[in-house]
Amino acid sequence: MIIMAPEPTTMLWLLWSMKESAYKVLNRNTGKREYNPSGLVCSELKVNQSEATGNVSYGDNVFFVKTEISDQRIYSVAAHTVIAVEGLTSYHMHNTAGYMDKFAMARPGYILKKEISGLPVVVELQTGRNLAASVSHHGRYLAVTYSGSLLLKD
Amino acid sequence: MIVELKGILTPYTEQAEALENLSEETDFIKDLQINSANLVDVVLDVEEKFGIEIDNDSMAKMLTVKAAIEIVETKLAESGR
Repeated sequence: MIIMAPEPTTMLWLLWSMKESAYKVLNRNTGKREYNPSGLVCSELKVNQSEATGNVSYGDNVFFVKTEISDQRIYSVAAHTVIAVEGLTSYHMHNTAGYMDKFAMARPGYILKKEISGLPVVVELQTGRNLAASVSHHGRYLAVTYSGSLLLKD
Repeated sequence: MIVELKGILTPYTEQAEALENLSEETDFIKDLQINSANLVDVVLDVEEKFGIEIDNDSMAKMLTVKAAIEIVETKLAESGR
């Protein structure tokens, strides 16, 4: 599939990114940690120049994944439903040691912090709501994705 | 073996302090913040360094220094070294 693709490099990272995003949901929901890329299976892939959509399954779990494709990045977000995927907000920034402070400066009204468990959370200051968040990074690039509808239990 | 692992991990982490204090308890993702794409590089480098082959089941568990050491030792023992 990768070798046959018009752009094999893009296809490789597209599949990798989709699997990674699904794993992050899985890890968050189950607490299970496992490094098993081939256990995550992509299907229903639809790709165009700037975007891709598809499903990633792991056992009985199916995740809906949406990917942004540009010459700068390939970035995927995943959730259990298409609606939840559409409800995700992503913020892209440089990967620096002070990225949490920079996030708060760039997004007034929101702060990013880590729970004791190490999982990130975005706090909506006006309401005090804790929004499920995910941080990913590669080289100089970093992204924070969070959801206005997926709340963390206190 | 920790010294050898430290050499392998160095190019893939920005977490100098965690790397400096590398121990069996160090977690590749939580402490060293190695991402999934670079974790493949770590697995490949460990295979090359120790002349072993790491199967998918072993790789799935390779998330800490302790797990990595156990996997390498098991594979070396299996090959009679």
